[in-house]
Amino acid sequence: MGIMNKIKKTRIRFAGVVILAMLAGMISYPKAVKFIPPVYEALNGLRINLGLDLQGGIHLEYKADISGLDAGTVDEALQAAQDVIERRVNAFGVGEPLVQTAKSGDENRIVVELPGIKDIEEAKKRIKDTPILEFREEAGPDSEGQKMIDNLNAQSLAKAQEVLERAKKGENFEELAKEFSQDPGSRENGGDLDFVQKGTFVVEFDEVIFEKNLKDGEVYAELVESDFGWHIIQKVEERGEGEEREVRSRHILFQKRTIDMIPQLAYQETGLTGKNLENAQVVFANQGISEPQVSIKFDEEGTRLFAEITKRNIGKPLAIFLDGELQSAPTVQTEITNGEAVITGNFTPEEATEQVRRLNEGALPVPLELISQQSIEASLGAESLNKSLKAGVVGMLAIMVFMAVYYRFLGIIASISLLIYVAMMVSIFKLSGTLTPWPITLSLSGIAGFILTMGMAVDANVLVFERFKEEIRDGKSIPRALEEAFRRAWPSIRDGNLSTILTSVILIWFGTSFVKGFALILVIGVLMSMFTAIVLVRSILRFSVGEWAEKRPWLLVWIGKNKNLSEEN
Amino acid sequence: MFDIIGKRKYAYSFSAAAVVLSIVFLSVWGLKLGIDFKGGTLMEVRFSEGKEIQRQQIQDTLSGAGLSGLQVQATENNSYILRYGESNEQLNDSALEKLKGLDEQVEPIRVDFIGASISSQIKESAFWALLLAVVGIASYIAWAFRGVAHAIPSWQYGLGAIIALAHDIIITLGIFSILGRFFEVEVGIPFVAALLTILGYSVNDTIVVYDRTRENLVRSARKEDFEITVNKSINETLARSINSSLTVIVVLVAIIFFGGESLKYFATALLIGISFGTYSSVYVASALLVTSYRRMMEKV
Repeated sequence: MGIMNKIKKTRIRFAGVVILAMLAGMISYPKAVKFIPPVYEALNGLRINLGLDLQGGIHLEYKADISGLDAGTVDEALQAAQDVIERRVNAFGVGEPLVQTAKSGDENRIVVELPGIKDIEEAKKRIKDTPILEFREEAGPDSEGQKMIDNLNAQSLAKAQEVLERAKKGENFEELAKEFSQDPGSRENGGDLDFVQKGTFVVEFDEVIFEKNLKDGEVYAELVESDFGWHIIQKVEERGEGEEREVRSRHILFQKRTIDMIPQLAYQETGLTGKNLENAQVVFANQGISEPQVSIKFDEEGTRLFAEITKRNIGKPLAIFLDGELQSAPTVQTEITNGEAVITGNFTPEEATEQVRRLNEGALPVPLELISQQSIEASLGAESLNKSLKAGVVGMLAIMVFMAVYYRFLGIIASISLLIYVAMMVSIFKLSGTLTPWPITLSLSGIAGFILTMGMAVDANVLVFERFKEEIRDGKSIPRALEEAFRRAWPSIRDGNLSTILTSVILIWFGTSFVKGFALILVIGVLMSMFTAIVLVRSILRFSVGEWAEKRPWLLVWIGKNKNLSEEN
Repeated sequence: MFDIIGKRKYAYSFSAAAVVLSIVFLSVWGLKLGIDFKGGTLMEVRFSEGKEIQRQQIQDTLSGAGLSGLQVQATENNSYILRYGESNEQLNDSALEKLKGLDEQVEPIRVDFIGASISSQIKESAFWALLLAVVGIASYIAWAFRGVAHAIPSWQYGLGAIIALAHDIIITLGIFSILGRFFEVEVGIPFVAALLTILGYSVNDTIVVYDRTRENLVRSARKEDFEITVNKSINETLARSINSSLTVIVVLVAIIFFGGESLKYFATALLIGISFGTYSSVYVASALLVTSYRRMMEKV
């Protein structure tokens, strides 16, 4: 009865192995069941999630510049930026885009992965395409910007003074003009302004060349200040009389900047930016006859800020900047408390629509700097995939041949188990995304790890088979030797594989994607290969090693010359 | 049975020479660090078919582009890998523009760049990962051999295994120092992954041999000479050691020859480390047990 039970158990286990092998085989190679359309349809939909390096794609790491934010709002702003980028990359319609924030030391990063993307440059542009919307108010007379302007002008004036001295000492005026003049119109021809009649130039300039009785070629002894800046003036020659009188002169211009010339300085930040935006839309004042405008609506905080800003700037301009560029600076008529504003800026309807699209997709609340990129063309990814698969197939066949030659029947069983192992691994890759919330991504390094585990997977078989040979040499019967071999090889298999798992876990913790992809597969592979070697191979051997093996042990495995082996049995 | 342990003197000389040479190479040449560790750009460009572009032409074209330490390496299918120190989008774009002068259809099929802040972070975590692995492996060995106190104290098994590990790792590093010096082979994250894998696998091998030694020590009723027991254990596990290393070596060779450029040196590192790992579990780890046993006996 005991023996009957044992045989039954062995048969049930073997049947289990066969079913498992068939399932794994069907999942990993659905074409095998093409003759059963519903099964084929269901299984063919399962895909291995390939990494960027195999299907092509792009991995970008941005550093978020949070210097402009209060400490308390950083997380919020990063989250907002993440949302915005997510919306943008979703618009690409690629496989499974990934956008996540990561903190490294005191750097805040945003990681973007776009697998399978075709146009990498376009993608980068669209992500970085960050319209920064700002509302700014007029800078006061003692603003930082004004100080900068004053400083620049002081430098300009000093330089002008210096060049004037050189010109008066008789240095070639044309050369000096070419070197220093900031008048783009006359600089190249040595500051020459040609013959003009009185009234052509600004009053200050006219006065010098027409009234000061300069001799031909004389440089006027002082700097002449006009709205343009400071001029050094040389009279060249004159012709005509009275109304017809014309003077030809040269000048070297040193620009005087006013704060209005640099909107970024003329208007200072108010704290109201695109992150306070709720939505934007195109509106046409006067029922579409006039130019299109962009109407925007603020969120709650934005509404409050906007009310404060408009209140303190009544009668003054409020500047709207998009991407650092002044769009318009309408004068505030009254305090606006409903959180609505209109941007006018000579838009064409197309431009207005584009602006609205960008604003709605979101103005990134934090500036981003690209600090790391990995991009791989789909063609290169496909090449890598083919090559690594080829290496895997070659490696697998080599192992199977080796095992079959060296270990004969046992080796063939090990080879079959290796095939089942590969099918089970592929099934795990395919099912991980469907059955678990942790889809496994197979990258190039993962395939390397997979191939390596094929080599390692047979290690457990080798341990068992070598032990089996020893037990036979010790004179044990074949079934008994088989059981002993599995039992006694187990501690070595366990201890040996534990060390590989240990280092793999450290590798996973180490964390870069190459390493993770490799180590994760290694861990799964080692666990699965232990299962294969211990459970599957044992079940198959218990079922298949019968009387025939007792009669012809040389078929089972090459035992080697040994005193204990009795060939005549 | 082979007298393996009896020949340990030769093995010691070989191993000592290999380790010393490796350390010399490492201190003179160091390792050639890739962009993972020092930051920079790796750009692979493919020229259109039929365009015969020489390496020197690319060098010349890019000489004024402000790329520091530019290296150009030919790969397959009319492609070249460019490496340089900067990690800057604009610079990459302008380099590509210049290459378009050689071939309008040139395509960047891979552009990896890593900024300084990331590479220094990678360096740091690589260091910690290696340290953690060594400590982890050491504690694992101490645990695995906690009960063994036959003939020599258990910690000496652990020590033997660790010396064998250090031996494998140092020689692998030494060979990559040579590869870096003469064949421009760079080490990056994959190399660290390979080192860690070697750590795990090589100790695996050592453990199998030790396990057998432990078993034979417990089993042998008649007190054989320790040296004979160790030698017997090695012989008994030799076929296993060679065969399972062989199967791993076979797949690694397959990767090296068929697996493409990206995996080539990763597999090479594994191949070196695992081959030496098999050798060292016999000739370093086990042989050291005998040597330290002898020492102990002399003292008694």
